[in-house]
Amino acid sequence: MANRKETRSARVGDWVDERSGWRLAWSTVFIRKIPKVNWLYTLGSATLFVLVIQVVTGVLLTFYYVPEPAQAHASVRYITHELSFGWLIRGLHHFGASAMVILTIAHMLRVVLYGAYKYPREITWLTGVMLLLLVFSFGFTGYLLPWDQRAYWASVVGTQIAEVTPFIGSWLKTVMLGGEEISALTLPRFYGAHVWALPAILLSLVGIHLYLVVRNGITSIPKKDE
Amino acid sequence: MADVTRRRFLVRAIAVMAGAIAAMVGAPAIGYLIGPSSDRSGSGDWIPLGTATSVQPGDPVLMKATVERKSGWLTDSQEVSVFVSTENGQNFTALSNVCTHLGCRVRWVPDQSGFFCPCHNAVFARDGSVATGPPPRPLDSFETKLEDGTIFIKEA
Ligand code: HEM
Ligand code: FES
Repeated sequence: MANRKETRSARVGDWVDERSGWRLAWSTVFIRKIPKVNWLYTLGSATLFVLVIQVVTGVLLTFYYVPEPAQAHASVRYITHELSFGWLIRGLHHFGASAMVILTIAHMLRVVLYGAYKYPREITWLTGVMLLLLVFSFGFTGYLLPWDQRAYWASVVGTQIAEVTPFIGSWLKTVMLGGEEISALTLPRFYGAHVWALPAILLSLVGIHLYLVVRNGITSIPKKDE
Repeated sequence: MADVTRRRFLVRAIAVMAGAIAAMVGAPAIGYLIGPSSDRSGSGDWIPLGTATSVQPGDPVLMKATVERKSGWLTDSQEVSVFVSTENGQNFTALSNVCTHLGCRVRWVPDQSGFFCPCHNAVFARDGSVATGPPPRPLDSFETKLEDGTIFIKEA
């Protein structure tokens, strides 16, 4: 019985494999040889896992959240206090954001500590640096969306900091805010960045990052004399 | 052999944990998405329609009221229209003016003593029952009450 079921699923697998080559793709990604490593090497995967949570809960939040000054805060309150499991979905996204920052930095520290950024993994490192900046940008743009006092002043402070950038500072701040100060134009542009532009860039970069991890293999723990 | 069992075990364990995590997020997600569809705000409220003297035995009178409906975090005003009739000036019946076929608005035709729906030519009798046409059930009716000369209907 179990046997017949196995052969049937094997046959379906063969059929799909013949037309897609998925077995090779699968074994390349998951059945690859890795050196004997420790738990710190799971930090990248942990980041990836939280990223998936962020995508799922983020998409769910867009079903109710409205990026419009008069409604944004009311829609967030509705999600948190009235909608079934809204508190859970929003809570996961909220704390997931902090987890992303912490895990990404921890992952980077592991890479630094073990010298894993060296040849031939410079591009992996480079995409990693961009990913870190993107994770920060997610945090920054997302923080404004609840449209309460804390959100407002955090964005005031954040864009004030951007203004200190040499030469282009004040221009940069104007572009970020869509004007001289936080206005009805600011909220939709932070939202557009947070749910469309940044995810598109982040997911592409994660794709490259992971491709390189598979392509180059992962480093082993450096020996004493290295 | 021992190695195969260990691999098997790990694969199973990972599958079970992944399934548990997916269920832990997935089940609430479903509740979250379908939540508002079970919101019945306003149901059971008594809505004032107007003075009882405006309805006399004879033709039903179309009465309108504006109700505040909560939709998510917004409150909109909605107009409710009902045909109110009486035989004795004491007891009132209130019928929805929404055709039970596909939702067009019916109107009272005094000559024929019936409610006529322009969309597919349905006719409902004075008591709301289907006289001719495609509607599957009589016009919806509301519970009514009379208080201080004002007619109220109870929101379904
Ligand atoms: C969204 C954020 C990120 C995700 C999802 C991610 C994911 C991953 C994964 C799954 C691995 C496999 C090995 C491991 O887990 O340690 C990896 C490796 C690597 N990551 Fe990241 N990463 C992110 C951010 C970064 C950052 C910020 C840096 C550094 C600036 C970085 C640099 C690297 C390097 C150099 C490797 C290769 C390490 C080796 O071969 O041992 N990554 N990343
Ligand atoms: S909608 Fe009234 S008859 Fe079809």
